[in-house]
Amino acid sequence: MKPLISIKSGGPASWAIRIACALAVGYILLWIPTRGSNSLIDTATTALTLMGAALSLNLLLGFTGQISLGHSAFFGIGTYTTAIFVTRWGWSPLKTLPVAFVVAFVVGAVVSLPALRIKGVYLALVTLALGVVFPQFIKWPKIAWLTGGARGLNDTGFKFDKNNRTYEIFGWNPWGNLRGENVKPFYFWIGIGIVAIIYLICRGLVKSRVGRSLIAIRDNSTAAAVMGVNLAVTKGIVFGLSAAMCALPGCLTAMKGSVVTPDTALLTVVGSITFLIVMVVGGAGSLWGPIIGAVVFELITEKTSDWVDPDKIPSLIRPIFSWSDTAPAGGIFALALVVLMFVAPLGLVGLWKQTIARVVSVVPRPAGSGTLDAPESSAGGIPTWRPQQEPPAGDEAE
Amino acid sequence: MSLLEVQDVTVRFGGIVALDGLSFDIEEGHICGLIGPNGAGKTTMFNVVSRIYQPARGSVRFRGEELLEVPAHGIASLGIARTFQNLALFPTMTLLENVMVGAHSQGRIGFGRAISRLGAARDNRRTRDNAGDLLNQLGLGALAFRAAAGLPFGTLKRLEIARALAARPKFLLMDEPAAGLPHGEVDGLAETIRGIRDQFDLTVLLVEHHMSMVMGISDRVVVMEFGRKIGDGTPAEIQNDQRVIDAYLGAPA
Ligand SMILES: Nc1ncnc2c1ncn2[C@@H]1O[C@H](COP(=O)(O)OP(=O)(O)O)[C@@H](O)[C@H]1O
Ligand SMILES: [Mg+2]
Repeated sequence: MKPLISIKSGGPASWAIRIACALAVGYILLWIPTRGSNSLIDTATTALTLMGAALSLNLLLGFTGQISLGHSAFFGIGTYTTAIFVTRWGWSPLKTLPVAFVVAFVVGAVVSLPALRIKGVYLALVTLALGVVFPQFIKWPKIAWLTGGARGLNDTGFKFDKNNRTYEIFGWNPWGNLRGENVKPFYFWIGIGIVAIIYLICRGLVKSRVGRSLIAIRDNSTAAAVMGVNLAVTKGIVFGLSAAMCALPGCLTAMKGSVVTPDTALLTVVGSITFLIVMVVGGAGSLWGPIIGAVVFELITEKTSDWVDPDKIPSLIRPIFSWSDTAPAGGIFALALVVLMFVAPLGLVGLWKQTIARVVSVVPRPAGSGTLDAPESSAGGIPTWRPQQEPPAGDEAE
Repeated sequence: MSLLEVQDVTVRFGGIVALDGLSFDIEEGHICGLIGPNGAGKTTMFNVVSRIYQPARGSVRFRGEELLEVPAHGIASLGIARTFQNLALFPTMTLLENVMVGAHSQGRIGFGRAISRLGAARDNRRTRDNAGDLLNQLGLGALAFRAAAGLPFGTLKRLEIARALAARPKFLLMDEPAAGLPHGEVDGLAETIRGIRDQFDLTVLLVEHHMSMVMGISDRVVVMEFGRKIGDGTPAEIQNDQRVIDAYLGAPA
């Protein structure tokens, strides 16, 4: 079946769609902190945290094909870098972001050294060990003077005081009231900043020679090496970069909460699994996948948080979840994951692309100096090889 | 001086000796056929040049430089490209993107410039246009935006040639490019190989079981059996070499 509409990539229609999308996103981003309820702003900030972590993991797993179950540790490195620098040395929280980035990059690059030699399930196990060890390490009595041990650290975030200026624009207060009365929008904007940085790094890489080499490593690493890709260096940098980016939303966790303990869920292996699920449900190997995944994950978590009480569950699906004595968001997501793996292995974004492709076809810009369909008079006068008829697939003659 | 000098190369897999003291040279500008029965070690030889297999012994020199001291990812920028017998494409990428990755060794954009976007767009445009031209030349232009996965074997073998050419090689190794092609298209392929050799000033090492094609386009032919060289000469000499006839060619039909 032919799609109904066809759009030229880079043409006016495609620009119109892009601008419309950008306006819609911009509107939502302004609406949430200025008009949304406090709990909505909170939910959105948590979604941004997950988004940042899942985007980082996506660069490593979705694009480069290297699994990591240890990203909660990198996330935690961010959280603890901010917490330690703020509480022990009185740094301003925002200044800890670059420190966390560098520390996590170094740790990530070191962890990638064994990762260069191992693959698949073994890599999963090594990185899982990292995720398991991290909270234990933080609790280690010998470094409790620094990390606060199992009790954690207090007052790890911003200090607001009455003398701070507030920034009002036409009666709007998009940044929140920085005198400490309502600071939620402020964290929301830090989350936006962090996600924007991570997204732009990933986007720059993916849409370049480097990004092509990452996908090449994922698809066929031997062939990638034959094309000239330095596997060890590339994988090492990507691992370090992914770790470094994942630390940033970790920093945000320390900034907005006043207490940090090693048992915070996202700092344990639960975090690694959450990032993984968010990424896969949204769409691995797509730039927007983790963003969509995080929004959907938070919406479901929010909608079902009071389902601990069976009477709150919509009657249609009550029999499925009423046995559970905790909120069933995790279960719902697990089910969604199983279903998605069958209908759309590339997640929600993959499903969307499949669906939209039935209606709209995007015509890419032609590549090359000639037109695509005129090989008769190709440059250089080389006899063009025109197949008379395509041979059947897979009839490999040995 | 020869372009490639293979000397006394030995490769073992456990008990199997895949290459057994193999030596031969390739002259610049030649199309050199490499033939021999299945399991003779032809593909293994390719993998030695690509630095995928490490020989136990021997030396491989390219323009006088010892390849066995170069890492696998350094081979492409020396000007050596190859195709694979059983395909080693990037299945999730489009044909165009596959060819663009083929140009990896020609690019300069690293992590820093990719993230900062300094010159990345220009690099993309140039790489993309070159890739498009190569696809057109190999008659794959109409499929440029299709994913590689699921296309017919013969089409993908042609894609491998386009991808290899994107690296602007001086030396091209082709592992059974005619496999999976219907008979009628083999002549066209031979024309293409000769054409790209002339246009890009290539030296070609061609592994192929299609005897009429190998004998038709090769300047020289090297014959292998059990990891050793058993014959070496012009196509006419090889076709009359009793040892080669016994081992591989069989009696003339
Ligand atoms: N990776 C490998 N592991 C073990 N044995 C191998 C490997 N590659 C090739 N061989 C063996 O080496 C020999 C030569 O194989 P190959 O080079 O593929 O032959 P050809 O390409 O001439 O048909 C065969 O006996 C094959 O089984
Ligand atoms: Mg072979």
